[in-house]
Amino acid sequence: MNRSAPVAITGIGCLSAAGMSLGENMASLFSGRRRAAPPVRFSSSHPCPYPVFEIPEDALSNNAPENKSVSRTCRLGLAAAIEAMKDAGLEAGQFAGLKAGVCIGTTVGSAMNNEEFYRDYRSGMHPDMITIERFLQGNPASVIAREFGLTGPCQTVVNACSSGTDAIGIGASWIRSGMCDMVIAGGADELCRVTYNGFISLMITDDLPCRPFDRDRKGLNLGEGAAILILESDRAVMKRKTHIRAFVLGYGSACDGYHLTAPSPDGRGLTKALADALKESGKAAGDIAFINTHGTATKDNDRTEIKVLREMLPHVPFVSTKGYTGHTLGAAGAIEAAFTIACLEAGMIPANAGFILTDPELGAAPVVENTRIAKKTALSDSLAFGGHNGALVLGIEGV
Amino acid sequence: MSMGIFISGVGVVGAFGSGIGDLKACLERGAAPLITQGPGPVYRADTSRLEAFVPKKSLRRIDHFSQMAILGAFLALQDAGSPSLAAGRTGLIVCSGYGASQTTFSFLDSVINDGDACASPTLFSNSVHNSAAGHISILLKLGGPCLTVSQFGVSVPSSLLTARQWLHEGRADQVLFGAVDEYCDVLGYCWSRFFGEDDMGIMTPLSQERQSAVPGEGAAFFLLSKDKQEKSGYGAVVDIRTGRLEGEAADFPGGEAIYFLGADGHKDCDRLYRDMTPSGIDAACYSPLYGSLPVGPAFDMAIAALSIHEGKIFASPESVAGQERYRIIKEPSAMAPESIVCLKLAKKDEYGLITLKHG
Repeated sequence: MNRSAPVAITGIGCLSAAGMSLGENMASLFSGRRRAAPPVRFSSSHPCPYPVFEIPEDALSNNAPENKSVSRTCRLGLAAAIEAMKDAGLEAGQFAGLKAGVCIGTTVGSAMNNEEFYRDYRSGMHPDMITIERFLQGNPASVIAREFGLTGPCQTVVNACSSGTDAIGIGASWIRSGMCDMVIAGGADELCRVTYNGFISLMITDDLPCRPFDRDRKGLNLGEGAAILILESDRAVMKRKTHIRAFVLGYGSACDGYHLTAPSPDGRGLTKALADALKESGKAAGDIAFINTHGTATKDNDRTEIKVLREMLPHVPFVSTKGYTGHTLGAAGAIEAAFTIACLEAGMIPANAGFILTDPELGAAPVVENTRIAKKTALSDSLAFGGHNGALVLGIEGV
Repeated sequence: MSMGIFISGVGVVGAFGSGIGDLKACLERGAAPLITQGPGPVYRADTSRLEAFVPKKSLRRIDHFSQMAILGAFLALQDAGSPSLAAGRTGLIVCSGYGASQTTFSFLDSVINDGDACASPTLFSNSVHNSAAGHISILLKLGGPCLTVSQFGVSVPSSLLTARQWLHEGRADQVLFGAVDEYCDVLGYCWSRFFGEDDMGIMTPLSQERQSAVPGEGAAFFLLSKDKQEKSGYGAVVDIRTGRLEGEAADFPGGEAIYFLGADGHKDCDRLYRDMTPSGIDAACYSPLYGSLPVGPAFDMAIAALSIHEGKIFASPESVAGQERYRIIKEPSAMAPESIVCLKLAKKDEYGLITLKHG
């Protein structure tokens, strides 16, 4: 198994509060538009309305009509997959004879946590079982596989906030080993009152639009969305004579073994994940155009991440795009991988939304305006609950 | 055996007890204890043995879901001879169909009882699917790749694919691989709403006539490596397949293979085994010993490894229904099958297949 072989990306789909397609997202990023607001789909009794990055239901309905039998997370994933398939020039029915799999990251999409159902259950009522049926039939990878008639392996990665990054790395591995000719890989996650209350309980949520890496940052804002990459083997690319947009060049994964919700202060897991991803890609720090960071705007995350990046990739420009999308949890790594590729294609990275003041404790600042880049390779990394870290090296050289 | 992975230790926790010895005793006895909880019978797991591995005070904030996983992990390592793990070279993969469901609902209790602003941060952080993997990595001080997967009934074969990839890509020298699912009262309630209340408590998998699934819980862990472990005798996983059937029979192995069928008393799935399993094979079914739970295939994999270790096929429990299409093994037999195929056919259209052979 050639672990270092680049894996072709032939299609990308992406939606978030910043836009309903990858193009719309990038237009928002490069124009500095962001739409953080109190949640519309649910209410809460918190004294202040913590803002979120929510996709309007009518916009989602245009891309993935409401369907009582599938979750919102699945609808987000399907909408991104449809865009990615179209981008790759693939249509349903083209997969006969192909070993095609699905690897999707999520958090909410795999959680049996329907609050309305549980309130009714606790009250001794007989709640409608449709919510449980939707959960049981709503595994995101399986739903996408069924939608496109794929019969290969399905894997829903639930590595918390690095799920999307890991799903792409694992999907690339399936291609390299010959297990699959094509993999639909990415992440999807919906906004949910349960996670909203959970993150607020941890006191890592900002009551203003988030400020990644800023001195006065107070935490994250939740978001929702999905991104899908179509990964294909050389054999499939040659057979279809299709256009390659980019390559997965390397992937690294490592745990801290330190704490359930806080990153290790020494950043040991992130260091190893980045080192493994770079080694696999055959690239060095000097080859990297920029880093699309995890950059949640929590005190701990940003401190650990910058410590590691300053040590491993000094002088490489970095940005957090969560100021435009919020933290989309299991989708974040995939959305940021999609943005990373789009930035390499555009030769430009967006300003880090929300950043104003350099934090002397961090000793480094993200890009503060749209910035030209010339190199053809970039990094995207993710840190997660459970002390997990994931990193992807993505490139457009030779496409 | 180009893409095989070798098993050097097995750790299991379930209603049958904890450890490979308890599993073996249960297989020889042919029955596991059931308790009645909520609307019906349940196979529950006891984690009290965990205190032999982890100080009690370290377990205070760790829920039952993660405790089952941690006990499974420590038992697998103990069974492998307590090898020193190279932190950065040991991968960790945990899979679960439902995740930490009781803690998820306990978190909702904190919201409903005390209000949004008083939601419990401890319960929230323990409710995420990868909490078990997080706790294990902390207790064992692991630093290698880490993954949690949730793919319902095929969670085990799906995540085992990635364990094999990591070992053959050289991402890890060994992988601590495990599966865990827990019972909670809400699950019992859902069970009764979907299937009615069955007070018999006897699982009769493969019967096709009766919905007899009894919810179970537990964990099964394995220490895996690419290289043969001379002392273990558990054999190797030589084939892993998973995907969707799309109404056609997959190309399942025939010949001299013995099948361990993952049927667990769901009537609809019994029919799939009747229709999709190759005819004329010898087959066993052990779900009445561990119950019905999404990660059931991990227990079949553990029994397959134990069968290879012991050089015998254990009898299926008496309640397993006989079949015309294939022969159900009802008596223990000293057999040396070519291979043991653990087959799971999940309700919708998914299948998973894990084949073990002598290493």
